[in-house]
Amino acid sequence: MVYDGIILGLIIGFFRGGLKHGLVQFSNIRLKAGWIFPFLLVFQFFMYYIQERSSTVAAASGYIFTAVYAVGLIFLWLNRHNKGFWMIMTGVFLNFLVMLVNGGRMPVSFEAASVLDPIYLKMLQSGDVVTKHFLLISSTRLPFLGDIIPLSSPYPRTQAISIGDVVMNVGIFLYILQVMVPVKLNPNSQPEVQG
Amino acid sequence: MSKLRSLTVWFNSGHMYAFIISILGILLFGYINKFEFLHYSTSSWVWVYALTGASLILTFSLVQLPPEGNEQTMESAVYLACIFVFGGSYTLTILALNCLIFYFFDRSTSWWKHLTNFSIYTVMICVSSFTFDVLGGLPGPLLNDKLTAYLLTLAVYFVSNTFLIGLYYYILYKGTLFETIKDILKDSVIVYLCTLVLSLISTVLIVHNSFLGLVLFLCLSTLLCYSFKRLFAMYRNIEERANTDQRTGLFNHSYFEEILEQEIQKSKDSGTTLSLAMIDLDDFKKYNDHFGHLQGDKLIAFVGETLRSESLKSGTIAARYGGEEFTLLMPDYDSQQARAYIDLLRKKLNNSRFTGVEIFPLGCLAFSAGVASCSSDIHDKSQLVDQADQALYYSKKQGKNTVHIYGAHSPLEQEIDFSQDVRDIEQQLNLFMYKDMETFRHSKRVFRYAMDISDLLELDTLTKRQFTLGALIHDIGKLEIPWGILNKKGKLEPEEWEMVKWHVTWGKKMALTNDKYKDLAPYIELHHERYDGKGYPYGFKGEEIPYLCRMLTVIDSFDAMTTERPYQPTKTIAEAIIELRACAGSQFDPKLTELFIGYIDSREPQHSEIVL
Repeated sequence: MVYDGIILGLIIGFFRGGLKHGLVQFSNIRLKAGWIFPFLLVFQFFMYYIQERSSTVAAASGYIFTAVYAVGLIFLWLNRHNKGFWMIMTGVFLNFLVMLVNGGRMPVSFEAASVLDPIYLKMLQSGDVVTKHFLLISSTRLPFLGDIIPLSSPYPRTQAISIGDVVMNVGIFLYILQVMVPVKLNPNSQPEVQG
Repeated sequence: MSKLRSLTVWFNSGHMYAFIISILGILLFGYINKFEFLHYSTSSWVWVYALTGASLILTFSLVQLPPEGNEQTMESAVYLACIFVFGGSYTLTILALNCLIFYFFDRSTSWWKHLTNFSIYTVMICVSSFTFDVLGGLPGPLLNDKLTAYLLTLAVYFVSNTFLIGLYYYILYKGTLFETIKDILKDSVIVYLCTLVLSLISTVLIVHNSFLGLVLFLCLSTLLCYSFKRLFAMYRNIEERANTDQRTGLFNHSYFEEILEQEIQKSKDSGTTLSLAMIDLDDFKKYNDHFGHLQGDKLIAFVGETLRSESLKSGTIAARYGGEEFTLLMPDYDSQQARAYIDLLRKKLNNSRFTGVEIFPLGCLAFSAGVASCSSDIHDKSQLVDQADQALYYSKKQGKNTVHIYGAHSPLEQEIDFSQDVRDIEQQLNLFMYKDMETFRHSKRVFRYAMDISDLLELDTLTKRQFTLGALIHDIGKLEIPWGILNKKGKLEPEEWEMVKWHVTWGKKMALTNDKYKDLAPYIELHHERYDGKGYPYGFKGEEIPYLCRMLTVIDSFDAMTTERPYQPTKTIAEAIIELRACAGSQFDPKLTELFIGYIDSREPQHSEIVL
């Protein structure tokens, strides 16, 4: 889901700002502690890989993912002056919050999961496979922040997402658009003098 | 104590209204919604998110309408659709989320305004959903046979919105309620109708295509907002073109006239000062002849740009009056401040470099300016322009590159000018010697009364000049009345009487032919107006008639009463005083009448005893 906002932002950004200008602008992006983001991404994949092999790591995975979110939040806080980062931060925080109160894992509602592959639904229902997600039940805290929004046709991807994901993606979209679209000068501010 | 007072100032009626509405809104929200969102199922939450998102997108898509500052949003369409599909209390959840999120985005608006806004919407939603329920509407798909319920709900929503917002503006700005609501309706009715129709359409879409329907509805409504926005931009663009002078970027003549009228009204209403400067480039013709019109235009553009940037800095309003003449309207400047400011501008322009300025006599860019200030006696905008123009004319006479305030000559100069003016007017009055001896003598007597009254009122020299010369010239229009009517013994026929009435207008036109007497026109034109508004030519009432014109009316009538005419009864001074008193408040200004009677008494005390 992280990628949808980026892709949409890029497409609209290219239309409004032009390909060349957009690329030049991208090379000019400067973010504080910019290495954190790719590092977290790689770390997350590494975790997926390792938790299938080590049971100790798997047991602690909830907490490790929570920690990943916390670091991500710090990164966003450092760059909060950028347009859209407040929204990204709000989105990530909402996801972080619901995971924190549910033992480090994201609840997925049954309705939302029904759009997914039935195998995955079964996995969630059995609950024996350790993943980042678990099936939402009545005792789940803050259920409305979980992955309860089903995305399916006509949307090009099939997914269950949370409101935090949506807010985060809107933020990413706004940020990319702001980077790629040239600043329009207000024509009223400086009427030219004809002579 | 002082804290309490500041609190009462802060807590004005607008706040009171906001407070009551907020309490009402919160209570209604609690009663209807009962915080039911705590128990929503996850699929309900998905709809809450979707609808909140939709309402937020519409909240951010402002529809701007001319005139400026008039904005509207279409999120009402979402709320109404929500009432029709999901019911009132669900809609309140959406509203609460929308307002909460919008509050974080729009922190420049104070929290109580957000709260008031939320409460107004809460009241509207509650009233409309109640209407919907009472009329038998059921949440869900749009039912053809219940169309009246839908339409009446829309009507109730519309009426309550207009009423609640109209009431707020009415309390805040103290207009009449009807007028305020009419204004709101006039500007926004089309956007409003769009919103109402869209809500029905989105009801259908949401029920049949759920989220896709909502997305389609959003596309439609944002595009609609966008096209309204484009329309507004176009309007602004055209408006700006109509109001600015293309050469200089300053406002043009017609817009200046418009804004001058507004500013004069504003200064009269609020009692603040207002000054007007008329600026004319010195020897511009010489520059034009030497370098050609193209270069001349560049010079005009340069001066215009200087004036524009300076006026933006100082909050004054600069306009191109025509040719090489500019005007500068200075709200909150008295004449001295205005002169100092214009003088600074003049020096700045003297010091600025521009191609070819060495051919000017002073070797630099220069202008002459006249400054006039708005006083309570000015009843027409052209008077102020005339005064500034006269002052400008005076500056030119003094050798250019100077600023002059209207009426600020040296006393001796004024004395000489004054006696010259008196002689000029008398020369014109001499024509009455053959036509109507009595009018000639009447004018001279009224003039002498006016001299005395000026001293009594302690008028400044300039006003005194105007008043006394006005008194002298006030009947000049009678020159146009045929000899036969002027000297008719016996009663005038109605049409003859109509003709006599015209003398004020003819007289004004005569005075306007001479620049020097332009400022006397009100005395000539308005000396037959009555305090109760039954006079001619305009029927002005009370304070609408300038102060000294009201005075002149008293003097004029008194003299007409007490003048001896052969074969006609003459009033004694005592009788005339009784008559004046009888007409005070109807024909005459009562205060000025008493003042004049006091003056007559002091002059001829023996008569007052008889009266008593």
